[in-house]
Amino acid sequence: MTRLKLKKTAIAGALGVACAVLLAGTATAGQFDGVTLRVGTWGGAWKGDQEAVIVPKFEALGGKIEFVTGSPQANLAKLIAGRGKAPFDIMEILDAQIGDFLKAKFLQPIDLSKIPNKADLEDWQYDTNKVGSWFTQETICYNQDKFRELGLARPTTYSDLANAKLKGRLSIPDITSGGGLANFGAFAYAGGGDEKNVQPGLKLINSLNALKFWSRGGEVVTQFQSGDVYAAVVHAGWCVRARKAGANVTTVHPVINDKYVGVHKHGWLGIMKSSKQIEAAHWYINQFIDEDFQFAFATRSGVVPVNKKAIARLAEDPVLKEMLQLAKADIDRQLRLDYTKADIGAWTDQWNRSVTKQ
Amino acid sequence: MSTVAQQLDKSVRDTGPPKRIGLPWGKIVHYLYCSLSYIFLLSPMIVVIGASFHGGEFYTAIKFPPDEPSLRWYTKIPQTQYEALGLSFLLAGSAALGACIIGIPAALGIVRGIIPGKALISSIFRAPLQIPSIVTGIAFLQLFYIVGDATGLYLQGTFAGLYIGHVFVATPYVVGTVTAVLQRFDTRLEEAALSLGASRMSAFFRVTLPVIMPGVYAGGLYAFMVSFGDVPISIFLTSPGFVTYPVELFYGMENDFDPSILASASLVIFFCLLALLGMQKLVGLDALLRSGSR
Amino acid sequence: MQARWEYLLLPSFVFVVLLIVSSQYVFLKGSFYEDLGLGQIGDTFDWVNYNKFFSDTFYLSTLWITVKVSALATLFTMLLGFPVAYLIARMRSQWAMILLAGVVVSTFVTIVIKVFGLIIIFSADGLLNKFLMGIGIVDTPYTIIGNQTGVVVGLMHFTLGFGVLLLYSVIQTIPRSLEDAAQIHGASRWRMHLRVLLPLSLPGVTVGALMIFNMSMGAFTSAALLGGGRVFTLPVLIQRTMMMEIKYSMAGTLAAVLLIAVLLINLLSVFLLRRLRAARLVIA
Repeated sequence: MTRLKLKKTAIAGALGVACAVLLAGTATAGQFDGVTLRVGTWGGAWKGDQEAVIVPKFEALGGKIEFVTGSPQANLAKLIAGRGKAPFDIMEILDAQIGDFLKAKFLQPIDLSKIPNKADLEDWQYDTNKVGSWFTQETICYNQDKFRELGLARPTTYSDLANAKLKGRLSIPDITSGGGLANFGAFAYAGGGDEKNVQPGLKLINSLNALKFWSRGGEVVTQFQSGDVYAAVVHAGWCVRARKAGANVTTVHPVINDKYVGVHKHGWLGIMKSSKQIEAAHWYINQFIDEDFQFAFATRSGVVPVNKKAIARLAEDPVLKEMLQLAKADIDRQLRLDYTKADIGAWTDQWNRSVTKQ
Repeated sequence: MSTVAQQLDKSVRDTGPPKRIGLPWGKIVHYLYCSLSYIFLLSPMIVVIGASFHGGEFYTAIKFPPDEPSLRWYTKIPQTQYEALGLSFLLAGSAALGACIIGIPAALGIVRGIIPGKALISSIFRAPLQIPSIVTGIAFLQLFYIVGDATGLYLQGTFAGLYIGHVFVATPYVVGTVTAVLQRFDTRLEEAALSLGASRMSAFFRVTLPVIMPGVYAGGLYAFMVSFGDVPISIFLTSPGFVTYPVELFYGMENDFDPSILASASLVIFFCLLALLGMQKLVGLDALLRSGSR
Repeated sequence: MQARWEYLLLPSFVFVVLLIVSSQYVFLKGSFYEDLGLGQIGDTFDWVNYNKFFSDTFYLSTLWITVKVSALATLFTMLLGFPVAYLIARMRSQWAMILLAGVVVSTFVTIVIKVFGLIIIFSADGLLNKFLMGIGIVDTPYTIIGNQTGVVVGLMHFTLGFGVLLLYSVIQTIPRSLEDAAQIHGASRWRMHLRVLLPLSLPGVTVGALMIFNMSMGAFTSAALLGGGRVFTLPVLIQRTMMMEIKYSMAGTLAAVLLIAVLLINLLSVFLLRRLRAARLVIA
């Protein structure tokens, strides 16, 4: 998916809105006149997609959208410093942070009746605090050519990667990276632990030979391309990118405890308690989970849409079909951590002490 | 400009170094050694610039050497990156200026003042260097909220707030370079000028300032670069629609990969090279960077 | 009439101290209270965080690693930077400007981008490793991402540009005539460097080395990205404590320890240098 297509979608969307506005008459015209909505999200192309599709629609309704660039962690730090006073109305929240947001009471209730597109989501993907916006499927991405060369079979579990032939050629996410916590939790489960006991995960990680830790997905794709790594734990989107960039890689959704196949990491949107633009915030969330935006955004950025209709459309792409689990039954078998049971501080502390030991 | 220093040195300089016989081994080793430094410094940049010309569509990682050379990604640099660049240049320029205004008198005072505990004082001026920037960023954000709650004047997300944070981290560089140059300065030159009837003011402006100017430029230039490259402080002090270039870059690379970032980073390099060489052609930057003692 | 230069110092000093104290106040105060998470602190003063720091070898070894990599980065930056600065300072041609521009421009590219270049250069199948293995220096691919060498390299990329600029401005205040005079009197190039150039530039070199050391001690991005999540310096740990653990009291403690440790190291090195100079072990 290219920017051009996104732009076309945007124009089509804007035209659609314009028609709708004309049809509805004056009731909705200029619905957001003079409204400025502030959105906390990542920068670069991630933000660019929203600028290309959602912003023109909002501007057609008379409003203006400003983006606050930063990671969810940085945006949470801003909230803490302001004791809940946020420099944005909506922000992207990672599933591991939800507990902190609820504890600190930074969110205001969402009126789900104002988010009609929720009908396309699974029931658990929305409640009055948050609405799911995208998810990733954390996988083992491996170089098929190299594995054949080394005489290695297709891996199915994390411990399959503990092979001397992969010494120094394996990359897993650092705890501070986007998928860090989800994968750390998955390692813990695979090692026989759970959210409350992550030591088995660290033991498993340490048993994998001389691995590298990545902090940005782009590093992994670069390392696949340069031949530096043969396998990496990374979300499927990066593996798709590595394939499209020329490396013969594919994904494996790891089998964990014979109970789960694959790992799930979720992104959410929430409305800040200090926000005054409640109507516009609801509108934005609804647009974010709209089928067309979800499809365009997900195919370019490599995450998976939450919108079921958009997920179905992903199957049209042979590479995506191969690397992602798109059937509902498969998605339901993926490991979804319950972060309310997790003490992220303790996780981080144990991780830090473990990885520096070697 | 003819300074006392120049006059003092002229007599020795005219004789020049002695001529040597045979290969200048010292020189050759020196040049080779310096090229090593440059390889170290420039090689990652060459990879980045090279990769920015790779034109593949599904281009999600660094590709070096580039496969299908094109300017494709240069045409895709989004408007927001240019806006961020503009803000960053403005901010860095004024931060460097602020750092000079605070830093030069401080350096003069440290080197020439008669005060106890000079080592401690200069360590305090260096302190912003070792406070991790993320602490500085959050600390200023907290401070601005506290001040705002007390006075109603909120500085977070304003240019002024961002500016204070940047001047804070940029000042030590000016203090450092000017101190370093000043310590080399022979006060007898100034005394000579005074004994020749110059006023203290004119002795300062005619003798001292030209000598320390290279330190000012070096410190100012670096203050500019530190401000221009800062992420951890700016991320907490920027506001909606008001984002500096490195922040845009940093969070553009975190969860996604945007090849146009490589292109814009390369553009910055080209622009800076052009600016530096242009300044050289126009005003002779190397002359500016050289003191009057030569 | 004696000029009172110290008055010139006063406004700047007050301004800087005010900014340091006012901004660090919340963190420093927090470090003396129990951490309740999410930026909240307890209400009784105690030393619990400091006790934790000084009784835990993990924290202590982090401090030690920070000092070690910073000292190494300072040393190598000076070793690489001084000859370059000297070369540029003594050049009379247009080349001086171009070489200087190379240093400046390299500093303009953030390490976030440079790290991709470094990955390519140091990749296991990359040019450098093929070369090193080809001539037999190493037998397994050499990597710098994820070890202390990598952190030192990252810190050098952060400080070398500044080091060259500073040393350049110092060296070019030393009249070339002094070097020429030494050579006229028969001193070799090395002797001249050792007996004339080094002592004359020593005060500037000291200031530069201290600054580069302090910059390295506080550097986050280069240390984090090149450390590959395996090497922790204090700033890296502070970042994790704040952003992942959200424990501001402990982060404040770490920052305070870092601040004080660097201050002490600065004072100690200045003191030692003075003693050496007094003992005439260093000619200056």
